[in-house]
Amino acid sequence: MKVLAAGVVPLLLVLHWKHGAGSPIPITPVNATCATRHPCHSNLMNQIRNQLLQLNSSANALFILYYTAQGEPFPNNLDKLCSPNVTDFPPFHANGTEKARLVELYRIIAYLGASLGNITRDQKVLNPNALSLHSKLNATVDVMRGLLSNVLCRLCSKYHVAHVDVAYGPDTSGKDVFQKKKLGCQLLGKYKQVIAVVAQAF
Amino acid sequence: MMDIFLCLKQPSRMVDSKRMRMTSNFQWILLTFLLLYLMNQVSSQKKRTPHDLKCVTNNLQVWDCSWRAPSGAGRGAAYEVCIENGLHSCYRLEKNTKIPALSPGDHEVTINFGSSISKFTLNEKDVSFIPDTPEILNLSADFSTSTLHLKWNDKGSVFPRHSNVIWEIKILRKKNMEIVKIMTHNTTLNGKDTVHHWSWTSDMPLECATHYVGIRCYIDDPKFSGHKEWSNWSLLKNISWSSDSQTKVFPQDKVILVGSDITVCCVTQEKVLLALIGSTNCPLIHLDGENVAIKIHNISASESSGTNVVFSVEDNMFGTVIFAGYPPDIPQKLNCETYDLKEIVCTWNPGRPTSLVGPRNTSYTLCESFSGKCVRYKRAEVPTNESYQLFFQMLSNQEIYNFTLNARNPLGQSESTLLVNVTEKVHPHTPTSVKVKDINSTAVTLSWHLPGSFAKIKLLCQIEINKTNSVHELRNITMKGVENSSYLIAVDKLNPYTIYIFRIRCSTKPFWKWSKWSNEKQYLTTEAIPSKGPDTWREWSSDGKNLIIYWKPLSINEANGKILSYNVSCSSDEETQSLSEILDPQHKAEIQLDKNDYIISVVAKNSVGSSPPSKIASMEIPNDDLKIEQAVGMGNGILLTWNYDPNMTCDYVIKWCNSSRSEPCLMDWKKVPSNSTETVIESDQFRPGVRYNFFLYGCRNQGYQLLRSIIGYVEELAPTVAPNFTVEDTSADSILVRWEDIPVEELRGFLRGYLFYFEKGERDTSKMRGLESGRSDIKVKNITDISQKTLRIVDLQGKTSYHLVLRAYTDGGMGPEKSMFVVTKENSVGLIIAILIPVAVAVIVGVVTSILCYRKREWIKETFYPDIPNPENCKALQFQKSVCEGSSALKTLEMNPCTPNNVEVLETRSMVPKTEDTEIISPVAERPEDSSDVEPENHVVVSYCPPVIEEEIANPGADEAGGASQVIYIDIQSMYQPQAKPEEEPENDLVGGAGYKPQMHLPVTSTVEDLAAEDDLDKTAGYRPQANVNTWNLVSPDSPRSTDSNSEIVSFGSPCSTNSRQFLIPPKDEESPKSSGGGWSFTNFFQNKPND
Repeated sequence: MKVLAAGVVPLLLVLHWKHGAGSPIPITPVNATCATRHPCHSNLMNQIRNQLLQLNSSANALFILYYTAQGEPFPNNLDKLCSPNVTDFPPFHANGTEKARLVELYRIIAYLGASLGNITRDQKVLNPNALSLHSKLNATVDVMRGLLSNVLCRLCSKYHVAHVDVAYGPDTSGKDVFQKKKLGCQLLGKYKQVIAVVAQAF
Repeated sequence: MMDIFLCLKQPSRMVDSKRMRMTSNFQWILLTFLLLYLMNQVSSQKKRTPHDLKCVTNNLQVWDCSWRAPSGAGRGAAYEVCIENGLHSCYRLEKNTKIPALSPGDHEVTINFGSSISKFTLNEKDVSFIPDTPEILNLSADFSTSTLHLKWNDKGSVFPRHSNVIWEIKILRKKNMEIVKIMTHNTTLNGKDTVHHWSWTSDMPLECATHYVGIRCYIDDPKFSGHKEWSNWSLLKNISWSSDSQTKVFPQDKVILVGSDITVCCVTQEKVLLALIGSTNCPLIHLDGENVAIKIHNISASESSGTNVVFSVEDNMFGTVIFAGYPPDIPQKLNCETYDLKEIVCTWNPGRPTSLVGPRNTSYTLCESFSGKCVRYKRAEVPTNESYQLFFQMLSNQEIYNFTLNARNPLGQSESTLLVNVTEKVHPHTPTSVKVKDINSTAVTLSWHLPGSFAKIKLLCQIEINKTNSVHELRNITMKGVENSSYLIAVDKLNPYTIYIFRIRCSTKPFWKWSKWSNEKQYLTTEAIPSKGPDTWREWSSDGKNLIIYWKPLSINEANGKILSYNVSCSSDEETQSLSEILDPQHKAEIQLDKNDYIISVVAKNSVGSSPPSKIASMEIPNDDLKIEQAVGMGNGILLTWNYDPNMTCDYVIKWCNSSRSEPCLMDWKKVPSNSTETVIESDQFRPGVRYNFFLYGCRNQGYQLLRSIIGYVEELAPTVAPNFTVEDTSADSILVRWEDIPVEELRGFLRGYLFYFEKGERDTSKMRGLESGRSDIKVKNITDISQKTLRIVDLQGKTSYHLVLRAYTDGGMGPEKSMFVVTKENSVGLIIAILIPVAVAVIVGVVTSILCYRKREWIKETFYPDIPNPENCKALQFQKSVCEGSSALKTLEMNPCTPNNVEVLETRSMVPKTEDTEIISPVAERPEDSSDVEPENHVVVSYCPPVIEEEIANPGADEAGGASQVIYIDIQSMYQPQAKPEEEPENDLVGGAGYKPQMHLPVTSTVEDLAAEDDLDKTAGYRPQANVNTWNLVSPDSPRSTDSNSEIVSFGSPCSTNSRQFLIPPKDEESPKSSGGGWSFTNFFQNKPND
């Protein structure tokens, strides 16, 4: 089931990205109807905060696990190989309103979820025996999926935002192995950096 | 020319040297000019005609001949060329002409130009064969494989015949066109235009630098005898990678063999600082622009994520991943078998790991050659402990399969084959659904399910039958296979009412492998009637009125079911009495019998039926001659033996019970056939150290007679308690001890005796340690007479504490000890005797001493209290009172006539005659009895005569010469003086002799006989006059100083008290520490005997 989710979710996200790629990020008009499939949890913000803290607490370990699995010289050249200069990464403003922060969080998690899906797929091919890395990647993707749902629920229930346009990172499927490794490392470095700020903001 | 020159030069050597040299030079110049002239003439002649004919060909069919035009001929000059080749053919041509290839041999060629005619001889050998320059039709590159593909046309159609062609291809790299490789490629011309392909794989990725390719050829026509040459190089064609501005590293994701070399380059516009292979630095090879490359030699196997090769620029790193691994090993241990004859499963071992994973991992394909079907091996997404196996569906009517397993990865492939008859390789599944059904109490049916289509083969199955507390039994069964997979067999020879555990496994015939064992199936067989009656025994009650019947429960094998009850009946000659049914588990019944000879019958019943009756007689035959014996067992049992008795017609019975239990007592019994004479009684109930009673009964005439009664232990142990003992009586030298028996339960064996220890000791000090260590102060008495209950210990000391210890022992060991302290009584008679004897002895000694003293009182008086002469009676010693009191300086005596007391002069034995004037015979003999002991000639009593002495002193020489006898006065104290200085004695004496001389006159020793004088001096120590100042020295008579101090004439007291036997004690002189030695010595008493 996890394998299926790891494969399908990124695919859906990629399809989703094609529609909204490059376009501005509209938010559902106020008068638009917004309905969630399931009732939102009563203490939604707490859950979001806990999920962010959970992601933040595991981000560094995931980063270390990742670059260690890529082999030398990754662990010793993090500044050049894993620098968090990811283009098109959604911005986040910690001093914005809750609604704006939630919208930005949604975009970030969507971006990260798609990228982590790519990384998971690539690493299963590249490092089939790195089970702990796969496990950690899957766990992170699972938490992100839950977080994304919660954020959307919050946006919908409180701010009546039913749709947020999102952007995704580059698809790595056609890239060479070194590019996959490097992009994955950069993304996880960025993730580690961003999630700390986001978790702090909530 | 040189020869000519040399010939001309030879004669000139004969002439005068100088002259000759000038002449020679002249001739040489002349000849040179002549020669040049001639040559010029010839040349000018040539230049006026066509000359230097040359012919080449590029297709062997047409010769292209050319010559030099005569001087003056214009460009458009026309020539007539005629070739004499059988057919005189002439061509009117301009300068060059193409002529058809001539046949081998010389041909005359005539070239007419106007009036001048040139003739040449033309042969094929003079013709050069230079093929046309080849042309590259196409040069393409496969960047992924770094391969260049070259395409060109050999234009073979222009050549008349087949020829071998050697193509030379050169590869150049970089803009400066460094030659990388020159290779040859051989083809054959076949008369047609043929396009050739040639590929070359670069060791450097083609993206790294521009690559150029050129080609030329050499046609090796064996029939052409002319000069063959290489064609010119074709125009170079190049391949370059059109890069965008992004930095890239090549090759990407390359899979290479471990140990090979590879070149990796970085196409960039930035300056590359360093290159790393993993974490290892690598030297850079500079290419065009900023592009760089590195060469990796002998690469080692990669990790699963590959080997990273990176190029570092100032603020970034670019890289690629290389996967170094091995081609797949040949699949090992390929084995194909079937579980069910429906599907074949093939397993193998992949062999050496390839170090390649993911998409580069080895893929396997199993193909069957007869059917042409193949199956591919798919890996699990989540890697586990991979089992390499493939399933191949069996084909109908095909039993023999030829499998080929192909392994392939990017580095190569390998394969393994196997020809197998699957009907001989059946490894059945595990049998399932095992069921058991009854047939009867000793047989069941066993059914199970074995999936598979085994209708055409036979199965061999094995049934394991396990019974509780029994070894398992295996039964092999061969059966025909069935299509529906259900199998059924009957299992017989089982025991009734027994729990069996069945399990099954199967194989096929011929045997290949057993299946796994099926799950166990437990089953209880049905009951049958008990196979025999219970083992019975009877006991009469203590009052002899009731008979108690005992029986043992039947074993499982005998009961054949659950015993529900027992029927007990008794019968006599007259009647049969059936008692009530006794339910299990009660195993005894009590019957009141009025007479003795009944037969008791016991029957066991289960749900199926009753057992055969078990009978026993009630009669007990008395035995008057019965003794109680002892026996000791072997730890786990006890051996009983008896003599064979032919009167015993039925079984012997041994019954036993714990001896501490009251009668009637029965623990168990054992029946032994009548022909036996011994048996070993064993029971789990037996315990070491417990006494049991064994009774051996013999069966005679339907009655039992007690033959032997035995008490015994299966194993003896040491007593657990010490005998309880008391002291009955105590005297001064003995103790009487009494002890009690140890109870049987605590004795734990047959009592063999007691050990009694005793020693002196107080309660607090004596610990009676180490009783067995053989201490000498411990006395031990071993009492082996176990009936003895008292012991008197004698020869003890009175009023002494004794430590007594008593312990019992069996063959099992020594029991604990019990100790006691006893004090013997005081011995009063001895005490009295001890007092009286010393008193009596003291009295006796006193009496005897008194008697002796009384009887020797005179001697004692003489010895200890002699009469001392009164100096007052001596007138010679009457000093003038004024003198004595006035001046101490005047000490001369006034020689008055006086009657001397006894003066004894001892004369030493001397050869020299005595001086007559010194011989004075004392009128008084003081000790007549003693004087008789002294020889008359030696004993001279002299009277005191000072003038004579003075004369002797004045004439010492006469004394020496004559050896005259002299009188020497020696005081009592200085009796040892002669010993100190015997040679100076006479001188000293002379000095000493100046003063007052005492009454005791000692013999004078001759100077000649010093040694004798010494002895005599010792003996003559007697009374000394008090006035001798010399001897009144304070020193001890033993001291040598006493002899040396005679120079000092010291007066130490009153010289008047000369009648005292004691020295007048001088006042203590601090300067005379030796005065202590100057006191009176008791020994002098005995030395001053009268007879001395």
